[in-house]
Parts: sequence; C-alpha cells; structure tokens
Amino acid sequence: MANGRVTQVIGTVVDVEFPPEEMPSIFNAVETDVDGQKLVLEVEQHVGNNWVRCLALGPTDGLKRGAEALDTGRPISVPVGDPTLGRLFNALGDPIDNLEEVESDERWPIHRQPPSFDQQATEVEMLEMGIKVMDLIAPFTRGGKVGAYGGAGTGKTVIIQELIRNIGTEHEGVSVFAGVGERSREGNDLMNEMQESGVLGSTVLVFGQMNEPPGIRARVGMTGVTMAEYFKETREQDVLLFVDNIYRYILAGMEVSALLGRMPSAVGYQPTLSTEMGDLEERITSAGAGSITSFQAIYVPADDYTDPGIVTTFGHLDAVISLDRALVEQGLYPAVDPLASSSRILEPSIVGQDHYDAARGVQQVLQRYRDLQDIIAILGVEELSDEDRQTVARARKIQRFLTQPFFVAEQFTGQEGRYVSVKDTVRGFQEILAGKHDDLPEQAFYMVGGIEEAVEKAERMRAES
Amino acid sequence: MPSVREIRRRIRSVENTAKITKAMSMIAASKMRRTQETALQGRPYSERLRDLLSHLAAQERDEDEPHPLLRRREARTVTMVLITPDRGLTGGLHSKINRAAAQFIVEQSASTRLVTIGRKGRDFMARTGQEVQAVFTDLGDRPSILDVTPAASIVIDDFTAERVDAVYIAYADFVSTTVQTPVVRPLLPVVPADLRPEEAVGYIYEPTGERVLSELLPRFVELELYHAVLESVASEQSARMVAMRNATDNANEMIVDLTLEMNKARQENITTELLDIVGGAAAVGA
Repeated sequence: MANGRVTQVIGTVVDVEFPPEEMPSIFNAVETDVDGQKLVLEVEQHVGNNWVRCLALGPTDGLKRGAEALDTGRPISVPVGDPTLGRLFNALGDPIDNLEEVESDERWPIHRQPPSFDQQATEVEMLEMGIKVMDLIAPFTRGGKVGAYGGAGTGKTVIIQELIRNIGTEHEGVSVFAGVGERSREGNDLMNEMQESGVLGSTVLVFGQMNEPPGIRARVGMTGVTMAEYFKETREQDVLLFVDNIYRYILAGMEVSALLGRMPSAVGYQPTLSTEMGDLEERITSAGAGSITSFQAIYVPADDYTDPGIVTTFGHLDAVISLDRALVEQGLYPAVDPLASSSRILEPSIVGQDHYDAARGVQQVLQRYRDLQDIIAILGVEELSDEDRQTVARARKIQRFLTQPFFVAEQFTGQEGRYVSVKDTVRGFQEILAGKHDDLPEQAFYMVGGIEEAVEKAERMRAES
Repeated sequence: MPSVREIRRRIRSVENTAKITKAMSMIAASKMRRTQETALQGRPYSERLRDLLSHLAAQERDEDEPHPLLRRREARTVTMVLITPDRGLTGGLHSKINRAAAQFIVEQSASTRLVTIGRKGRDFMARTGQEVQAVFTDLGDRPSILDVTPAASIVIDDFTAERVDAVYIAYADFVSTTVQTPVVRPLLPVVPADLRPEEAVGYIYEPTGERVLSELLPRFVELELYHAVLESVASEQSARMVAMRNATDNANEMIVDLTLEMNKARQENITTELLDIVGGAAAVGA
C-alpha cells in the first residue's frame, strides 16, 4: 500500500506521484480525500517521472495538489452475489438506496477478461419478447446481444422498459440493469415500478446517470457487467442485462480522452474508441453453462448512423433494432424501422420457414411502398397501377399492424399493453400479406395486439359509423 | 442521414421527372385547346338534332308500332359503352370513370356486357372479369365520326335484334379545364325529350316523317356516341394538362426540399472536417 501525492488536477483527470518502487498497476484504485469525502481514482496510464495518470470516479472540486493518495493495491471491486439482489448501486459498488450496508462475502474487480474464444456458447435459440415488430423482424437470441438504436426521443428507454416488463417478469433468473448516463429520474421510476411488479427481488440496479462525472459513466457499465458475470459464471444462471445507454459510455470515454493526453480521432472521438467498446462488449457474452442476454439502448447523435461511435457498436450485436424519427412523427409506436432492423438469427433454419417468409414478405411490401413514395409525391396515388395501389394499401396496414400498445406506456396511450406471441404475430402478418384483410380499414390495425383484435376493431368501427 | 451524393442523385432524378411532366403538360395544353373547341362546337349540333328528333317523335308517335330504336323493354341484358382514355397520367380521370361504370354495373340487376372505347376501360373491365364484347382503341385525339360507326352499329344491331334491352354510355363529361365529371346515361332506347307547348308546331316532313325518323335515329345514336367521345377526349387532355402541371409543381417543391437537405448535409460534412482539423492541430500543438 504505497502512499503518493497528487501533483496535477486537470478537471476529472488527476496525476499522482508515487515512490519509484511502489508504482500502482494500471486500473488500480487509488484513494484520496477531498474535504473529508473519499475520492476514488483509477490508474489509467504511467506517464513517466513516477507519475500515474488517473481518472477520478467522483467530483474533483476542492482536490489540492500535494494531497495524499493511497494505492489500494487492487482495482475497483464491487460486491456480487445474492446480497446485491434488490439493491441499487453506484459505479463503485456502494449502495445508494438508503438501506443497510451490503454484506457480501465476495467482491469482484470491475475489470475482467472476456471469455476466450473456445468458451463461447454456440447454441442458438429464439427468445420471445411479445413485441410484434421485434419478434418478426429482429428476433432475439437467448444469450445474445441486442441493440436498440435511435435518436433523441424515439423511444429507446420505453422499449427497454417494456422488455424488462415482458421478459424480466417472466424470466426466472436474475436481471441486471445498468443505467449509464441517462436521466436520474428514470432510474427512480424504474425501481418503483420493479418494486410494484415484485421483480425487484431478483434484480440488481446499477446507476451512473448524467449528473455524474465522466469517470463514473465510463465505469458503471463495467460494474453492471461484473455483477451479471458473477451469476453467469459461479451460479451458471441465465442472466438478463439491460444497459441504457451504451453511447453514454463512449461519450464519457470521449470526455476524458483528451485530458488523458490522447489525440482526438475522427469527429472528436477517442482514438481508442473500438478498444474501449470491445473491452465492455466482449464481456457481455454467453460462455460455459450460464448466459447473459443483453439489451442495450444506443443513442444515435443527430440521427446519423454513420457516426463512428455508432458504427463501432454494430459489429458486437446479434440483433439491431433501429428506431426511426419519421415513424415517431407519424405516431407509429414502437417506432422500429422494419427495413433497417435485422437479426442474425432470422433464417429459416432457426425461426422456421413461415416466420422467415412473413418477415421477408413484410419487408418487401414496405420496401416497395418506400420506392413508390416519390411517385406518389409527384404524380399522386391515382397514377399507380392497381397492383401497386394494393401494395400501398397493404403496406400501410402492415405499418399500422406493426404498432402495439405498451404496458409501460399506458399513461401515454391510455391503452393497456398487449403481449403477442410469436405464433400470433407471424400468423397476423401472413394473413395481411395474403390479402385476407384487404377489406378492413387501415385504422383498424393501429395499436392492437393480435390480428383478431384488428378484425374486432374494424367491426366496432363499422358499427359506430 | 443520406450522403450528399445520394441526395444529389435523387435531385437529378426528380429534375428529370419534372422535365418530362412539364413537357407533357405543355403538349396536353396545346391539344386541350383544340379538343375543347371541337367538343364545344359539336354541342349545338347535337342539341338541335335532339330537338328535331323530339319533334319528329312527337308527331309520329305510333303507340302500337314505335320505331325499333324507340322501343322500351324490361332490361334483362344491357350493353355499356365505356369511353376512357387510352393512356394514363390523367390524374385519376380513368379510374373515376371506371369506378362510376363499375358502380352502375353492380347496382343494376341486369347482366351487362361491355363495348369499350379506350384502353384504360378495357384493361379495367378485363381485370375485373366483366364480359367485354368489343374493344376499340387508338382513336387518337382527333377522332372522326367514322371511328365510332362500328361501335354504334354493334349496339344498334344488338338492340334492334333484341339481344340487349338497353344501352348505356359511360364517359367523362367535359365541364371545364379543371372539372370533368363521370357520366353514365342511357343511349338506347332513344327517349325523345318532351316538347314544350310553344314548340309543338306541326312540320311537314318530306317524304314522310316516318322515313325521316328511321333515317335520323341511327345517325342520332352515332352522333351521341361521337359526341361522348369528343367530350371524353377533351376531358382527357384537360385532365392531363392539370395533372401534369401539378406533378411538375410537386416535383419542383421536392427539389427545393431536397436541395435544402443536401446543403445541410454538405455544411455538416464541412463542419465535421473543420472540427477534426482544428482538434487535431490543437492536440498536436499542445
């Protein structure tokens, strides 16, 4: 346990000088105090002259040069295991729910090696989510990774929360929710909601929200993953990991990158962008007997999918849910763009021929509609051939049938949520594609569950008019 | 966000479309004037002919043995003469006529067969599985009366031979350049208009009223048909002119929107690059 002294403070980056023989290792936690408050620093770099460059995991206001700093001799570690269930933590593993201390026998360091190549699980099994558009177009894999992409206000968080409700409540194992750089209020809402639905007891919540310094936001994801890893590795359980929002992790890295002395790369991102992404994402995998199924919300800055920060995330995911602002503007929720969303497992051999055909059929019709949109805009719908006009009518019905009321959005829609099984979803779209419901008004397909409900709604509409 | 190049390509494609629609609207405009004149000039003649016919029919009213083309029967089978344009890009004109015709066919109980003049009607009726008896296409935009004679003789022959009990005619009535209304009206049996009392003057026809009537009736049917075709052609050109002008306007509007989007995207690229250079330079300098 070496003692060092703070030699330089640049915002959230702190340099500490240690005796030459007792330099702390990279990622070691170094503790100092600021006006009686403990401040944890994490060693990121050895910069020469016996200095180490550290990332502060807390506010550095009031930190003085020359302040004493103590090397703890090990990385930041967080409590894991049963005592963590039902609790709320910050990135350092301290409970923040105003309840008693967490008495855990085990603490794991937040920096760990990803599972090696030969340990990775290869089995593929579809996981039902009960959300039509996702089950159809981007089916999830048990033990896989799913990203929900979207610009500001397109409904990423709502989708994550609906998934927590749909899968989390029916899921038998443990869930971990990591709130990375999002609204603090949402964390609060989430906890209350979980308490009400009674799933809090099997859930661990970790938060490093947008009010926290970048060091915290850059590490809270790892804290969440570490806690999930424990259940996967030692208990061999199936763990659900929800992360909202991965992009804030990249952003936090970007905030400190220049301060750590790295030259900015394209669009101002850190040059170590893909490494940082890999450090976190590669750990979220299924290996051995347990599995981690992860759902990640990913904010897309300025709706630009070519942004380097976004591009680095794509490769890590098994399924991509892409949220489109144009759909939000039309009130089509969830605003999942069926043409931009995809899944690795949408193959006949995994999801079955019917499902595959229905999904591809839906995409074809919608693609054709999109192609025709310019013609409609210029010449008007009257000039289309009858065949195309039918395609347009079906595409509009499909677009509406892809919407669905959410349980967690009940206060916005005033409508109770619907859970639709994959079987019903596939059948519904098959019937629309086959033209079985060409006579129903398109509004009947809006915000309903299964296809039977659309038929019922059409009848109700007819009776009312 | 689409790249600058993608947007530029779309702008070019919309520009090309706009050029075509503009040319079409100008062609239609020049044809429109001529066809409108023809249709309007034909109107007084067909009105006078109708008056004359009414006179004759009133004078020669023979209740027991009316002229075959005047005979009313219970309609068990009817023929519909459907007059549509050959070509599209008329802003839904043909679908309006087709819809009106289809609705008429559905609403009346008699079985219907069709004589179509113009491709759009033929295609529509063939697709919906109606019985199409005869098809006339490519009348062009200056049809002569000879073009409609065959169609007229078909319906006259069928009617006189009592193979059909009534003949209707569906076409787009030219009201003005912007308004064309689909019309379905009876053609056979010919129903002479009632005479106003002051018109009920007795004329002497040579050689006899009956002879003149039997000569006049087929010509009247032919002329009615011809006139419907002229109205339809005038409607077609007017509708096309308006539709294409709207299309050109829409396309131009789209070009404006896309150009704005393109400029934004370009500006964004420039800003990003500048930031990269400045950021890079600052980092190296520090």
